[in-house]
Amino acid sequence: MTSAGLSRRRFLRNASLAGLGAIGSSSFLAACATSASNGPVKQAAGAVTVQSNLSSPEAKKAIEALAKAFGEKGGATATVNTVASETFRTQLPSYLTAANPPDTYTWYPGSLLSGYARKGLLLDIGDVWQTMDGYSAAFRALSGDGAGHQVFVPTSYYWWGFFYRKSNFAKWGVQPPTNWTEFLALCETLKGKGIAPIGLGAGGNTPWTASAWFDYLNIRINGAPFHRELLAGKQRFDDPRVKKVFDPWRQALPYFDPNGTAIAFQDATTVLLQGRTGMVLTGTFFADAAPKDALGDLDFFQFPILDPAVPVAEEGPTDGFFASARTPHVAEVKEWFSYVATAEAQELYIKNSSGTVLPTNPSAKDTGTPLVQKGRKMLADAKEITQFFNRDSSDALQPTADAALIRFIQKPNELDSILADWQTAAQKVWQS
Amino acid sequence: MAVLTAERPKTAARAPKRRRRVSPVLLAFVLVPLLVEGFWVFWPALQGFYLALTNWDGVSAPAFVGFGNFAEMFSDDIFKTAALDTVIWLVLFGGLSAAGGLALATLLQRERRGVGFYRAALFTPVVFSLVATSLIWQVIYQPDGVFNKVLGALGLESWQHSWLADPKTALYAVLVPALWRQVGYVMVLYLAGLKGIDPALYEAAKLDGATAWQQFRNVTWPQLRSVNSVVLSVIIIDSLRSFDVVWSMTKGGPYHSSELLSTYMYATAFQSLRLGYASALAVVIFVLAFGVIVTYLVRAFREDS
Repeated sequence: MTSAGLSRRRFLRNASLAGLGAIGSSSFLAACATSASNGPVKQAAGAVTVQSNLSSPEAKKAIEALAKAFGEKGGATATVNTVASETFRTQLPSYLTAANPPDTYTWYPGSLLSGYARKGLLLDIGDVWQTMDGYSAAFRALSGDGAGHQVFVPTSYYWWGFFYRKSNFAKWGVQPPTNWTEFLALCETLKGKGIAPIGLGAGGNTPWTASAWFDYLNIRINGAPFHRELLAGKQRFDDPRVKKVFDPWRQALPYFDPNGTAIAFQDATTVLLQGRTGMVLTGTFFADAAPKDALGDLDFFQFPILDPAVPVAEEGPTDGFFASARTPHVAEVKEWFSYVATAEAQELYIKNSSGTVLPTNPSAKDTGTPLVQKGRKMLADAKEITQFFNRDSSDALQPTADAALIRFIQKPNELDSILADWQTAAQKVWQS
Repeated sequence: MAVLTAERPKTAARAPKRRRRVSPVLLAFVLVPLLVEGFWVFWPALQGFYLALTNWDGVSAPAFVGFGNFAEMFSDDIFKTAALDTVIWLVLFGGLSAAGGLALATLLQRERRGVGFYRAALFTPVVFSLVATSLIWQVIYQPDGVFNKVLGALGLESWQHSWLADPKTALYAVLVPALWRQVGYVMVLYLAGLKGIDPALYEAAKLDGATAWQQFRNVTWPQLRSVNSVVLSVIIIDSLRSFDVVWSMTKGGPYHSSELLSTYMYATAFQSLRLGYASALAVVIFVLAFGVIVTYLVRAFREDS
């Protein structure tokens, strides 16, 4: 519901813990893979169980406040089960195929969602959508299974951009750029001042942050429709059009923080706030890690336009809920969904969370800070909205991008073999 | 009543037989664990072997593909990297921890003042979870972490490095914390072995004028035979199942340069959701571990008898 980047970050951090003891023994794998029906599921009578992967303190607090408010309305009640994100993600198939599954789940729209929907595992909530007045066609399309059924309720979304500290830009005497040439000139100026212009936190357990660069360059050069087709397996990663994406990236590479692939995302945030890097391409979730006094000093600019002929698309990852088709509490689940779709519920959530997400309900108010207003306008002006690499493709495809993109950043001259390997790895994922 | 009296002679007639029957309590003690073991270990293991012959995404029904998964390994470059890294890991991790553990044990076996402190200090890493250990080492390896700072202070700036981010060094950088921990463990095994050697043997060797090396070569080493086979089994199994330290530090990256068979199996299963291929990898790991250990143990016991 809040930034999935945040929860992704959390699960990546916890991945090692989840992996503990998951060692080279066939019995382990089989035990895990075949025990689909004995997930720890608590069913309170009449209460909707909300299986949540929002384990960061702020998001957890927010969703619990939401469930509490729902219960106080009278009618159905909801209980939140917070599960570590990595566990949540790996257990999701087990939850959904269980005889007695949790009722609803926090998740995001994308290929995984439509995959489950096609297998008949998700509850059709078309009637909830009839109560959701004013929701944009884009959100409606995003929440469908591709076969005319609505299976998802979007509740919040956020934006990506180049974030920087206003005070640092003022100190260095630089302005946010409006096009690619100005962007490179800005990088050159910062480099001349001994600052690493572009921060990147693709080391440690967060190599996925590099995918933001690929996403943006691809939607700027080849456009959002091509990007979606590529990520859906309808185009190839060794296509000349994909290769073209790496030309501007190569121009920007000399300005990347040389430690960018060595430090994790959280450290990249610290380095940016300390003024050792100039800017970082990231989603708003990164503000959660910033100290409160630095929040007012943060600003962002849009990823520069590379080809004015390509309709402008922006990354606007959306979060929300879906429900299991096997839930015994259909009426209660729909009541919960109708509630979380209201302006009142979304405002309550935003008030309790870190406040950098945007509500999906058009009549709900955001926090109204200048930063949030600017982000909201950027997404509203965009001709197309993309999600993020793993959401437009799948979590299974993400590691193939991580391997390819980190290798490109470190060894840009091996591009041809990188793209060939990427295609091979991606094909295996698509075929399985 | 009538029934009871009627039955009495029968049971009485069976009484001599009953003495030979195993008591139900004893039978339960054998059967219950066997059932538990069968259900939780053997059955899932067999399922794993079956899954290795299928393609399965965890949701739909598994599709039988015969030995297709095993055939795929021959053309899978990541598998080759992972297999090679596992061999490197086996040799370095196994070899260095055995050699280091033995060296430390011989050094610390004699009771001297303060020797307990050193033994305890060297054993301490064993009690920490490897995940916690890796997190600490991750910080040490940071671009501006302790390791690079020390190198800088020694005037070795040119050696400073992003140790975990460079595909050339990542595997070895991960190996160090694993070794740091394993050496203490192996040391304790060898210490126990050394304690079991009869001091009279050393007295005799000394009377014969044996040097320290000759004492080690002709007394200590042959006496450590049984400990060696334990240590060898332990380090082979430990290196093949090394997972947590690599996963928490590099996840097998950057671009699969520190991938072991175990991390590749996990990533294939739970990141790519290719559970069939991952099961096939698990079977390979199982066969390797089982094969090596059984071959060695059979040989070792044959020589003993």
